[in-house]
Amino acid sequence: MGRAGIRSHLRSIRTPTPTPTRPLPFILPPPVKYDFLDSAVLSRLGALPIEARLAMIGNVAGKHRSPHRGSSVEFAEYRKYVPGDDTRRLDWKAYARSDRHYIKEFEADTNLRAYFVVDCSGSMKYASGEHDQKIQFARKFAATMAYLLVDQGDSAGLSCCDESIHLELPPSRRPAHLQNFFDVLSTLEPKGETGLVDALHTVAEKVGQRALIFIISDLFCDPQSFGDALQHLRYRKHDVAVFHLMDPQEINFDFTRPYRFVDLEDNTTIVAEPNLIAEEYDQAIREFLATVETKCHDVHADYHLVTSDKDYEEVLRDFLTTRLPKKGAR
Amino acid sequence: MTFLQQTMLWGLFAVSIPVIIHLLNRRRFRTVEWGAMQFLLKATRESRGKKRLKHILILLMRSLAIAALIFAIARPLVGGFLGWGGGSVETVILILDRSSSMERSEKDIQLSKRTSVLERVTEAMAELGEARLVLIDSATGIAQEVPSPDVLPELSFTAPTDSAADIPGMLVSALDYIQEAKPGRSEIWVASDLQREDWALDDSRWDAFRANLDELDFNVKLRVLALNGRERNDFAIRVLSSRREAGEFVLDLELAREQDTGPTTKAVTISHLGARSATQVSFNGQSQRFQKRIPLEGAPGAGHGWVSIPDNANSRNNVSYYAYGKEAPVHAYLVTENATSSDALEALTKGLAPGFANQEVTVRQPSQAHQINFDSASLIVWKAPLPKPPVSNQLFEFVEKGGVTLFFPPEEDSDASFGGISWDPITQSPPDKFFIVDDWDHADGAFRDALGGAPLPLERIRAIKRRGLVGDFISLARWDDEEPLLARRVIGQGQVLFLSTLPDYTWSNFERTALHLVLLQRSFDDGNRRLGAGFFGVAGEDSAIPQGDEIRDRVDSYAEGDAGNVAYEAGVYRFGERTVAVNRPVGEDSIEMLTTAQLDAALLDTDYSLLEDKSSSSESFFSEAWRAFLIAMLLFLIIEALLCLQPKRVDTSTAPSPEPTS
Repeated sequence: MGRAGIRSHLRSIRTPTPTPTRPLPFILPPPVKYDFLDSAVLSRLGALPIEARLAMIGNVAGKHRSPHRGSSVEFAEYRKYVPGDDTRRLDWKAYARSDRHYIKEFEADTNLRAYFVVDCSGSMKYASGEHDQKIQFARKFAATMAYLLVDQGDSAGLSCCDESIHLELPPSRRPAHLQNFFDVLSTLEPKGETGLVDALHTVAEKVGQRALIFIISDLFCDPQSFGDALQHLRYRKHDVAVFHLMDPQEINFDFTRPYRFVDLEDNTTIVAEPNLIAEEYDQAIREFLATVETKCHDVHADYHLVTSDKDYEEVLRDFLTTRLPKKGAR
Repeated sequence: MTFLQQTMLWGLFAVSIPVIIHLLNRRRFRTVEWGAMQFLLKATRESRGKKRLKHILILLMRSLAIAALIFAIARPLVGGFLGWGGGSVETVILILDRSSSMERSEKDIQLSKRTSVLERVTEAMAELGEARLVLIDSATGIAQEVPSPDVLPELSFTAPTDSAADIPGMLVSALDYIQEAKPGRSEIWVASDLQREDWALDDSRWDAFRANLDELDFNVKLRVLALNGRERNDFAIRVLSSRREAGEFVLDLELAREQDTGPTTKAVTISHLGARSATQVSFNGQSQRFQKRIPLEGAPGAGHGWVSIPDNANSRNNVSYYAYGKEAPVHAYLVTENATSSDALEALTKGLAPGFANQEVTVRQPSQAHQINFDSASLIVWKAPLPKPPVSNQLFEFVEKGGVTLFFPPEEDSDASFGGISWDPITQSPPDKFFIVDDWDHADGAFRDALGGAPLPLERIRAIKRRGLVGDFISLARWDDEEPLLARRVIGQGQVLFLSTLPDYTWSNFERTALHLVLLQRSFDDGNRRLGAGFFGVAGEDSAIPQGDEIRDRVDSYAEGDAGNVAYEAGVYRFGERTVAVNRPVGEDSIEMLTTAQLDAALLDTDYSLLEDKSSSSESFFSEAWRAFLIAMLLFLIIEALLCLQPKRVDTSTAPSPEPTS
């Protein structure tokens, strides 16, 4: 069993759930001041690595597969020696067998850049009953993921958009960066209309190298335009994961009496009797969800419909678990 | 529809509760900040139309359910007679047709129309609670309050009669009562078989009734219960006329039936002075006229009797009564001018007195006409220029009292007229041509068909001379150029006849056809009826009422009379010295019924309601219908529940379930 095989085996035995709590790493800033961070959740999820589905191009060595050859312990391929190659990398055993000079190449492991695109439009403020606001769910999700990423040596960046991108943190893997990250998240105030599509196009253009893009939004925008933005990201070879945040009431529409609905984004008002329009609303929301999911699948993006009544830890664990490479892969 | 608990109808305002709740709910909305507005707008746009209609239907069902409940609580009475729009009634004025035609029953064991209507009125009054009942019956025409509706069938004022019904008169009486007594919210119930004779559509009182009804200060509802069913075939017998004739008493009888069901025989019983005899009469068609001759040898005095048939649909028209006085010659006067030819004179004289023992004729010159005993004359034949005053006045008075005068064309021209009719100059037929008879009245007049139905041979009459007529008359027979052969003018109770040619070979071949004999004898009979009219009366009319100190005494043996209704019952009565056979009015045997259109015309703009009861069943006018309304309420609620049910959301599209994935 080679080193790559051992790592794969180790990974496979590190995935059982629930993960036993382990002590927090030394880099963790005190999380207690942020209501969207839970140290218990962080410690439980810390055992699960965050994997990219595509090869990443990082600037330092890391845990993620790179499209380039490098100096990891995992054998990649043989290639013929050409003048100028480092003779130290000649495989003398192969020379002895074949009387030809071969250079032995290894996989390069690099770090991962993750971008969190968080929708801060007014609709993210909606919360029904005892559930969290969607923005709060987004904060918990982004903060926890960022913590885990930095914890495993990857860098995390943040773009917050309402009508346009109004807050942006470039990706960094420094533990101190997390403090800024959390501060920005804590100051997010949902307002205005959704500018998610423009924000995604901007991110696609801005992020030069391959990255893992987390889109955390209710996606209340034109599904067609959203699909185009995903295509743009995919074209730039980014790994995209979409977390579609919805409030349960936005799906079930379980109102029982007339309401005056005030739009959280542009203050449009409409008085409606839910009894009369429930069927049509249900039809519309189903069409919307189906369209969005189709758009995501078209670009091989991870699509997760998440309702705000769910436990975000569970959502994250499922996400991380499904991203683990299968045994023997890589 | 009438409601026993009418005050509960105020609860109908509760029908608006669902709508009010709906409107309040719409106004009492809550405000919620909402993110997924784009779907809400789309759903709102698409939900118009069908959904709105459904929602309106739901509201409607709720309102109808409440209305049905209120109606059920108000205890509605349904029945075509009371119909919709009824309410609490303080006074019911019952106009009861108790004429003889109301005694029909459509089945052997069924009650008569009058009885069934009385029972149902009794039940209806019980349902109406404290409403007063005022009865106006067709016999007396007097409005009288009935203390308790329960005794209604027992009252003499509701018993059967043989008299006619004067419906417009009773309606006017009802209005008079209402105007005088001011009985509050009233309804006039007319119970009648809609016999057209009783309704007298041409009567001017209809206009007065409609006008007075319209002018009343309070609302009076008019309801007509039409008992116009005629399921059974009814037979009726009637004495048309009676006379002494050569030692015999001749009865002209008519047997009639409503529906011609083919040849049949009917047993006719004649009771003459207590002696009964029966005979079978073959019967074909709708009516059959026949004669019965009763020998009177050795019985020169007065007499009476009745003719009857077995009981059938209506028991009141199965008998007809007759009476006659002592034997006395009947007298005719022939007033003729000198210029009358001997042939014409002989033909007329023989025609008037063909040898019958009791017929006498006296010939007079026009100058001696004032010597005529008009009181004893049955017929006056005037073959002379038309009379002038004072004779013409005497003659006119004679006709008015029921006498018959037959004018033949004089030889001399005259400018005199009688009854507005005068002779034209004599006209001759063209050479080698004759005046021939074109058509005549087969049912009426002196040239009517014989009793057996055989027509008279008037087409054989040829005339070469005639006189035309000027004036207002009815042609009973016409020449082929439409000039009258026989003209009639009715004056008072009698009539004057004008024959435009003479039974003389220089005028016509009347004498050869012997039709002048028919004309003279039938005119004689008509005139003679004036003298015999004193022996006949019509139930309910003046002729059936004792005069002065006369005491009424029923002498026939057909049936026991009802002491309370004796004035309106047919029978043979002795009024002091007089004997009068009282029969039902001719109109009561009429089968002509009022149509709905005619009823509408008669009660124009009166907003009356009509219940046609063709079966004369004894079912109540109405019944309580609260169960139906409760069932209706349940139905409305079930429909409302079905409409409220949200259809199962079956995902037939490719859309994924909105269940979140994680």
